[in-house]
Amino acid sequence: MKIAITGGKGGTGKSTIATALSYKLSKTKKVLLLDLDVDCPNDDLILGVKTKKVKDVEIMIPKFDYKKCVKCGLCSKVCREHAIVFVKGNFPFVIQEQCIGCKACKIACPRNAITEAKQKIGEIFIGKKGNITLIGGKMKPGIEESSLVVNAVKKFSEQYKNYDYVIVDTAAGTHCPVISALIDCNMVFAVTEPTPLGHHDLELILKLTKKLKIKTRIILNRSNIANKKIIENLARRYKSKIIAEIPYSKEIEKCYAEGKPIEHTSINQIIEVIR
Amino acid sequence: MKTITILSGKGGVGKSSITASLSILLAKKYKIVAVDCDVDAPNLGLLFGIKKFNNIEKVSTNYKAFANKKIDKCKNIDLVNICAFHAISLKGNIPVINKLLCEGCGACKLLCSEGIELKKVKNAEVGETKTRYGFYIVSGQLKIGESGSGNVVEVVKERARNIAKKINADFIVVDSSAGIGCPVIASIRDSDYVVAITEPTPSALSDLKRVLKVVEHFKIPYGIVINKFDINKRFAKKIENFAMKHKITIIGKLPYDKSFVEALVNLEPVVVYNKKFEKLFLDILNNVNYYLK
Repeated sequence: MKIAITGGKGGTGKSTIATALSYKLSKTKKVLLLDLDVDCPNDDLILGVKTKKVKDVEIMIPKFDYKKCVKCGLCSKVCREHAIVFVKGNFPFVIQEQCIGCKACKIACPRNAITEAKQKIGEIFIGKKGNITLIGGKMKPGIEESSLVVNAVKKFSEQYKNYDYVIVDTAAGTHCPVISALIDCNMVFAVTEPTPLGHHDLELILKLTKKLKIKTRIILNRSNIANKKIIENLARRYKSKIIAEIPYSKEIEKCYAEGKPIEHTSINQIIEVIR
Repeated sequence: MKTITILSGKGGVGKSSITASLSILLAKKYKIVAVDCDVDAPNLGLLFGIKKFNNIEKVSTNYKAFANKKIDKCKNIDLVNICAFHAISLKGNIPVINKLLCEGCGACKLLCSEGIELKKVKNAEVGETKTRYGFYIVSGQLKIGESGSGNVVEVVKERARNIAKKINADFIVVDSSAGIGCPVIASIRDSDYVVAITEPTPSALSDLKRVLKVVEHFKIPYGIVINKFDINKRFAKKIENFAMKHKITIIGKLPYDKSFVEALVNLEPVVVYNKKFEKLFLDILNNVNYYLK
C-alpha cells in the first residue's frame, strides 16, 4: 500500500506526520519512506538517520558537434524552455540551468549534430532506521525542474520490494513535483491546520486529489490553535473526513526541534485507517 | 524602484505573515505594490482580508500535447521512452498522454507530427486588488493540475511591475513560495534584496541553507529573519553562529507569540492586530533599507 502525505500549505506538519507514521508502523511492519520533497528534504533530520548518496540524478543535455552543425537554428526553435541560444550565422549553445532534458533539440536536428551529454540535477540518498528504509532526493540548488528528481527517486525505489507500506512525503504546494509524487498512490493524507491559510490550501489539495481520483483523508495538526469548524465543513463538502487530530503542544514541538519522531495517540488513529 | 523578495525554503515558517506586516509598515512611508508569487497556494491576499481579486486575467504560459485520431500511425515510434516526464504510456499499443504529467516540451510531436498536437492551455489566473491599507496586491493562482508555475510567476511579477510604474512605486514586495524550484527561482530573479525567513529547527536551517545557495547563484544581497527564535534558543544560537561564520546579516528576530496565530485567524497582519509588534518589524525594515542603499 502506497500512502502519500501532503497538504498544500507548507509547515503544516507533513514530514512530522510522515516520519511519525513510518516510525510507529515500523515497530511491526517493513516501511519504505520516500522523501519526495526534493527541494527541501527533511525526513532524515526528523528521524535522526545518517544518509548516504547512492546515485546522481542526471538528465540529458545537448552536446553540439560543430563539425556537423549547419547553423540552421532548428534546435533553438523547438526548445520551449528557451535553453538554446541561436544567433544567425553563429553556432548554437545551451544554457545549462534552463535545459530540462526533453531531447526535442536532438530529435529536431536534421544533421545529427546533437549528441547526449549528462547534466547532474540532483542526488538520491538512502538511510536506515530499524525497519524503515528511507529513500529521498535532493535537487541541486539552481535547478528548476523538481519533478524530474521526484521521478528519478520513484524509479530508483522500484527495486526495493517486499515492504508492507510505502509512505510518500511530498513538497508543499500543488504543482508538478507534488503531482508526480501523488500520482500512483493508493491513498492521500492531507495535513492541515485550522487557520484560514490551512483551509485555503487544503481545498486546493482536495481539488487536486479529486482530479487524480485518489481517496483523501484529513489530518488536523495543531487542532487546538483555532476553531476547527472551517476544516470540518470543507471536509464534508469534499466527502472527506478528519481522521486524526493532533493538538499543539510544547512537547511535540520540542521533539521536532530536536530531530525526533513524535509519538502521539493520534498516530494510532491514522494507522487504523490504513490497516 | 526596488524589489524585496521574502522566501524561506521551508514552508510554514511565516513568509506570508511577515510579508504582510512588512508591506503595511512600508506603505506608511512609501508607495508599494505587494505581490503573491506563491501561485501554487497563494495566501498573501487572505492575510489582508481579501477574498476576491479584480481584473482577473486568464493566462496561458504553457503548452500541452494532445493525441488526435491519427495517433495510431505512431504505433511504431517509442514515444513512451522519449518523454522525459513519464507522461506517455501505452493503452493496448496506442500511446496515451497523461495531461497531468505533460510539460509541453513537444519532443513527442517532433516524432509524431501527425498524431500529436501541441496546444496552449490556460493554466492560471492573475488578478489584482487594492487592499484596505491603501496599496495594491497582485496575485496569481495556478489552475489545479496545471504546470508552469515559474512562468506564471513571471506574468504575476510583470503585472505588478506595470502597476508599480503607473503609480511610481518605491517598492515591490514579493512573497515567494516554499522550496527552491522553478517558482522560487522566478520569484528571486531581478530582486534587489532578499529577506530569508527561518525558525530554530533543524529542518528550517537545512532548507534555509539550500535556498540561500540559489540566492547566491543570482548574486542578490540578503539578510535573515529568525522567526519564533525563542521556541528553541539553543538552536537559534546555532543559526546565529552559522550566519556569523558566513558573514550573513541577521536583520531581525521575532518571538513566538499567540498574537501571530490570532492575527492569522482574524485575517489581519500581526502589526495591525497587535501594535506592540510594530517596532520589531520596523527594525527589520530599517535594516533592509540600510543594505539597499
